[in-house]
Amino acid sequence: MHAEAIEIHEHHDMDSTDVFGFWLYIMTDCILFGSLFATFIVLNYQGMLSSKLKNHIDLSTVLVETFFLLASNFTYCLAILALYKEKIRHVQAWLGLTFLLGASFVAIEVNEFIHLAKEGFAWDLNGQASSFFTLVGTHGFHVSCGLLWILIMIFQLPFIKTASIAQRRLTYLGLFWNFLDIVWIFVFTVVYLMGAM
Amino acid sequence: MEHQQPDYGTGQKKLSIYLIGLFSCTVLTLIAFGVVMAGSFTKAEMFITIFTAAIIQFLVQVICFLRLNTQTEQARMNMLSIIFTLVILVSVIGGSLWIMWSLNAYMMS
Amino acid sequence: MLENLFFGKLTLDAIPLHTPIIMGAGIFMAVVVLAVLFAITYFRQWSYLWHEWIASVDHKKIGIMYLLLSFVMLLRGFSDVVLMRSQQAIAAGSNLGYLPPEHYDQIFSAHGVIMIFFVAMPMMFALLNMALPLQIGARDVAYPYLNSLSFWLTFVGAMLCNVSLVIGDFAAAGWLAYPPLSELYYSPTVGVDYYIWSLQIAGVGTLLAGINFIATIIKMRCKGMTLMKMPVFVWSALCAMILVALAFPILTVTLGLLELDRFFGMHFFTDFAGGNAMMYINLIWAWGHPEVYILILPAFGVFSEVVATFSQKKLFGYTTMVWAIIIITFLSFVVWLHHFFTMGAGADVNAFFGVATMIIAIPTGVKVFNWLFTMYKGRIILATPMLWVTAFFTTFAIGGMTGVMMAIPPVDFEVHNSLFLVAHFHNVIIGGVLFGYFAGVIYWFPKAFGFQLDEKWGKAAFIFWVVGFYLAFMPLYILGLNGFMRRMNHYSNQLYQPYLIVAAIGAACIFIGIVLQIIQLGVSVKNRKALRDHTGDPWNGRTLEWSVASPAPVYNFAHLPKVEELDQFWLDKERRLSEGHIHPNELHYHAIHMPKNTPAGFIIAMFVGVLGFALIWHMLIPGVIGFVGMLATWIARTFSTDIDYYVDAETVKATELAHLKEMV
Repeated sequence: MHAEAIEIHEHHDMDSTDVFGFWLYIMTDCILFGSLFATFIVLNYQGMLSSKLKNHIDLSTVLVETFFLLASNFTYCLAILALYKEKIRHVQAWLGLTFLLGASFVAIEVNEFIHLAKEGFAWDLNGQASSFFTLVGTHGFHVSCGLLWILIMIFQLPFIKTASIAQRRLTYLGLFWNFLDIVWIFVFTVVYLMGAM
Repeated sequence: MEHQQPDYGTGQKKLSIYLIGLFSCTVLTLIAFGVVMAGSFTKAEMFITIFTAAIIQFLVQVICFLRLNTQTEQARMNMLSIIFTLVILVSVIGGSLWIMWSLNAYMMS
Repeated sequence: MLENLFFGKLTLDAIPLHTPIIMGAGIFMAVVVLAVLFAITYFRQWSYLWHEWIASVDHKKIGIMYLLLSFVMLLRGFSDVVLMRSQQAIAAGSNLGYLPPEHYDQIFSAHGVIMIFFVAMPMMFALLNMALPLQIGARDVAYPYLNSLSFWLTFVGAMLCNVSLVIGDFAAAGWLAYPPLSELYYSPTVGVDYYIWSLQIAGVGTLLAGINFIATIIKMRCKGMTLMKMPVFVWSALCAMILVALAFPILTVTLGLLELDRFFGMHFFTDFAGGNAMMYINLIWAWGHPEVYILILPAFGVFSEVVATFSQKKLFGYTTMVWAIIIITFLSFVVWLHHFFTMGAGADVNAFFGVATMIIAIPTGVKVFNWLFTMYKGRIILATPMLWVTAFFTTFAIGGMTGVMMAIPPVDFEVHNSLFLVAHFHNVIIGGVLFGYFAGVIYWFPKAFGFQLDEKWGKAAFIFWVVGFYLAFMPLYILGLNGFMRRMNHYSNQLYQPYLIVAAIGAACIFIGIVLQIIQLGVSVKNRKALRDHTGDPWNGRTLEWSVASPAPVYNFAHLPKVEELDQFWLDKERRLSEGHIHPNELHYHAIHMPKNTPAGFIIAMFVGVLGFALIWHMLIPGVIGFVGMLATWIARTFSTDIDYYVDAETVKATELAHLKEMV
């Protein structure tokens, strides 16, 4: 029927519009992180002095966290592939693995923060420390929100009747999760690698 | 049976591309960490390597995982948004660093 | 112990019982609020209010609510004006006036915050919501539920600011709260925290609305309306929203970092332990400059619509208008340092930003000339919206010129932070933004409410506003050039006083103008039957919003329009005169898919308000309640499947036929 075709077309357009809106949100998050990066660089490299962070960095730990996050990025993509094949159980399994890898990332990071604070490098020590904990911590907070979202999706998936709604929501989460790994590239480069030089 | 898949502006999802992405990112990450952890390079060499690796890995992730492309109209709109955002990001971060550096240079300390 | 977890730092001492002016204002506010609540209860309108307005996701209703919020806050912000102007008019030499510095500081800080964030921004979103979806031939914005959330978050931000008047105090560090003054050591009270959280909350609302409107404009234009066939108002809105999306995250970060300094003792902007207060100023203006372009661009858009309609002529130079807007959008991100030339950067930095600032005046000039060329050989109708436009031309030009003067760093070193600066920015904001928004409100009022505003009272209000503006601000230019600095509650040189008395008279004229606007509204409501807009097109307009009834039906268009050219509606009207058209009775109507009203946006915003208040006063339990409530409502909504409905074809047909009947 003509009217139904209009409806389906409208729904597809709305799906595209919805994902575009989420993409725009990701752009705004880029600016948010950009401002945090600018602040970090300014407070850590005043007068071209190198960061005191050097004394506290353990690059091998950071390397391990990086691989956990990268792996979780990949397993999420596998979840998406399973979704388009309409194998809901597989999707939940890959999402579960993504969650475990992401949670390991957060656990290592929280552990690092506690360790740093014990060594005296606490967030209220000076501008360098404040900007370190805020930049890295904001990223970690985003990852934690993503983890909560993954859990909700694992739980919600069987209840979602329409394939397009499931695809749309997992597309948002996919954009978000991928984006966080992209931001991490710059975090480990600017904060840890430069800090350790 | 849905005839038209909504256009999310991302490319087709293929396992091969994800694997290429995973492999490239792993290599780039190892190069960046390796150069700094080895301790046998000059500061300038390390700096250039890690930033080049970061930018290449950024592009790999955007193309392989986010699947950004210019095939459809929506994809082109997504591409335009990210390019404009990056231009503004460079202006604001670059401008801020220039300004703060200049202020610092003129401060009596 | 439990009391501490619940009340945090909040005690009864927070109520400023010993300051009569504040208590008077607070009691007045309370009386008004109670009167409104009583009236709603007495007339038994709670159910109607809840279902039709609070839970509404209809852009037309949300637009009206934004307008109401902005007007109420205008009164609040203007009361600050009355206090400041009267104080400065009398506080010369040995007379200290009646407002001590600590109080005066809060007044000018609140004035700036309220006028920018809770008057200008909401008024802008009011216009966008009232007109934009109709102008692009859409049924609603891209994300109606998010639209509702954005409004209620802005509302909560404004309410936190209002609450600060009677519980605690407000920031006394200027509208941008520069550190180190705004750090905990120099501002130990909750004032700066109120400032931060009300702006953060409203800021999130604004950011989401920005995303909403970009998606709406890019994705929901009707068939045939390519980007270069959109009305110029839509172009200006698109670019303003792009600025919102890219600039507001900077504000979020900057205020967030200040709050981290205050709450956790961090050192981003402290004057010791490696903090850098100048970084705050750099970041806040990297947001602040795009912000003023966010405000002015939609005003420019309104002018384009109003000038074309009331000159009864096509807008001159559509393509150059669009390019001018795009160039302004980009350039607004490379000029922000001109707000702090004197902070001490090198000459190279100052020169770059000075030149960039001067360049940005050029596309603006192009637009002004295009409007003038549109009017040339047009058949001009001097209705009230057009009067506001004519006032804009001269007023904004003067303001722009003084801006270009200050773009030259050596000149700026003389007049920075003087009343010259204050006169300049009021000149462009009032002459540009406010005059434009007033024109827009009067222009689109009939579309939103179904009846026009009284022309006579409108013209009277206009005269008092314009005369008042010039009396209030021209003396300030002279004072600024003579060395009078901003934010002073008292001055020793009595030679300044006559100018400030003239300025106070100007403020009084504006006050009369506002009273006349209120009378205009009252008279118009009383005479709404006589002023009724029967056709949906009271001004003989050119764009699509005038092709539907006033007020527009809930679904906007029975059939989504198909556009072939710019100003399609105008062309259709001309053709209809010669060709005739299909009678609505013979058209085929189908069911229309619409989003369902939901109180989720309101509820989430209320929880966010509780969270904000709790963060300000360090109240742990209410904070947790607010946070969990916000999150739970948000997540619960994602499980909901009852989010839309269909307006059946019969209802659509009946509505359209009723409109046709009213037209003849």
